Amino acid sequence: MTAMSGQDSVAAPPSRLAAALSAHGLAVLFIGPAILLVVLVSIYPVFDAMSLSLYATKYAEKAGFVGLKNYIDLAHNPVVWHAGVNSLVYTIGSLLLVLPFSLGVALLLNRQSKMQGVLRTVAILPWVVSQTVTALLWAWLLNADFGPVTYGIDAIGGVRTAILASPTWAMVALVGINVWSSYPQATLLMLAALQTIPRDLYEAAYIDGAGPITSFLYVTIPLIRSTLLVVVIQLTLLYFNMVTLVYVFTGGGPLASTETLALLVLKISFESWNLGQGAALGLIVTVINLVFSLFYIRTLGRPKG
Amino acid sequence: MNGKAARSVGTIFFVLAALGVAALALFPLLWGLTTSLKPADQILAYPPLWVPNPPTLQSFREVWQQSNLPIYFRNSIIVTSASVIFALVLSVHAAYGLARFSFRGKAALMVGLLATSMIPGVAILVPLYNLAVHTGLYDKRLGMIIVYTAWNVPTLVWLLKGFFESIPAELEEAALVDGCSRLRAFYLIVLPMSRPGLLAGSIMAIMFVWNDFLIGFTLAISEQRRLLPVGLFTYISNYGVEWGQLMAATVIALLPIVIAFFLLQRFLVQGLMSGAVKG
Repeated sequence: MTAMSGQDSVAAPPSRLAAALSAHGLAVLFIGPAILLVVLVSIYPVFDAMSLSLYATKYAEKAGFVGLKNYIDLAHNPVVWHAGVNSLVYTIGSLLLVLPFSLGVALLLNRQSKMQGVLRTVAILPWVVSQTVTALLWAWLLNADFGPVTYGIDAIGGVRTAILASPTWAMVALVGINVWSSYPQATLLMLAALQTIPRDLYEAAYIDGAGPITSFLYVTIPLIRSTLLVVVIQLTLLYFNMVTLVYVFTGGGPLASTETLALLVLKISFESWNLGQGAALGLIVTVINLVFSLFYIRTLGRPKG
Repeated sequence: MNGKAARSVGTIFFVLAALGVAALALFPLLWGLTTSLKPADQILAYPPLWVPNPPTLQSFREVWQQSNLPIYFRNSIIVTSASVIFALVLSVHAAYGLARFSFRGKAALMVGLLATSMIPGVAILVPLYNLAVHTGLYDKRLGMIIVYTAWNVPTLVWLLKGFFESIPAELEEAALVDGCSRLRAFYLIVLPMSRPGLLAGSIMAIMFVWNDFLIGFTLAISEQRRLLPVGLFTYISNYGVEWGQLMAATVIALLPIVIAFFLLQRFLVQGLMSGAVKG
């Protein structure tokens, strides 16, 4: 810092060149360290993963070049395909529930009322709760012996179920707690978009004889379309890459019924310690991320009609 | 139905829906809280007891005195504060540089930064683990701090660049004319004016680091270096679960972040929205 301010004063008499040079130096000094760190911790590992994925590994060390063997093994492994299907079910199921729900909450929060401030704080509270804590809280709520949700089902339906012991219901519960944990961020983005819509538009629609449903469909939705696109992209990637919630809540079970691709990356790498194959699957997940983003931008990102 | 009746039906619907959302958001948290305050014999009751009678801090005492929770808590505090401070210092400078200087490739740099924040964390855990082992940073707080710092930089730079650009450059130019150096103008004029942006960035970064599980899980192994989320996870995987103690530990883990959220939520919403506008 002192060196820089020194350079500033040396630049007298201020020629244009010296000023440009000193500004340039300052820019490098300001921007450089952040970029360097990101390159080292986020970009270099991607290339390292590419290289690692072509090797057999032993105790975190490369044990011999094997070409595409890790990828071929993954492609021939039914566990991987099963996890891929689970990832799709988890991602699409969560999206289908969370989009209408978070939009509904956003509409509630957009209404003028005295409770608005308190309601907003309470409604977005699950956002603060980590995936670890969310999974633990809900595991206790759904506990087969003492959980209040289990009791509720028992009291209404007369069956005492071990939800997390059933492959189907474990996935349903997982999607449900994922919705609980992630709707607030969607709601906040949608609320921000709703607040930019001028009131006169609704008044104009009302005068033209539009009811609440018509004005929702023809005023609200078109005007928050681009935000909806952002939300859908963000959530798809969030869900597809989600590891912690699944790992803590079900560990992928029962019978691998909730084992997703992202979770499989963690398990292959740090439970089976097959780092080469873990790196390969991690890269496949990254490529699927890219495909999702491009697909959404191409199909939904067209100029607003 | 006349307008007035329709309006009151709307109000009733609104109140019911609002109560429903509030109940859904709060119920799991309240259930965790009441469990943590129950005497041991009331935790395992069926039908469940809703209110502890009498409430007791027994579970909190046990988990704080008889487990390593205080160590995890301390580690999380150290790692979170260090990485958030480092990330802010780096990002503030980078964002200012990107907001005020023009050079070739700037737009590409910004897009590149955004792209790195879209690399799924789980995909680079293995290389990061290797890197940590080979640099001697495995099972060290510093290793985790470095990764968390780096992972926060791209979002913070984008957020703060927007804030700096919204501050008129004329203010700094006036200061420069008055003989103030570029650096002084930045630290004494621009930074104080960006307080809302700094607070928004801080709370987002704090939430991310405090809540993250994966880095603590892969880059540390010993009890002495364990972070809170990993500690909570090992409670349920290692022993038969003591739900009272686990919920007490959960409440302790939630407390700092909920307090930070209440204090800073105004800025958080603002920050998220300013990020959202730019897409």
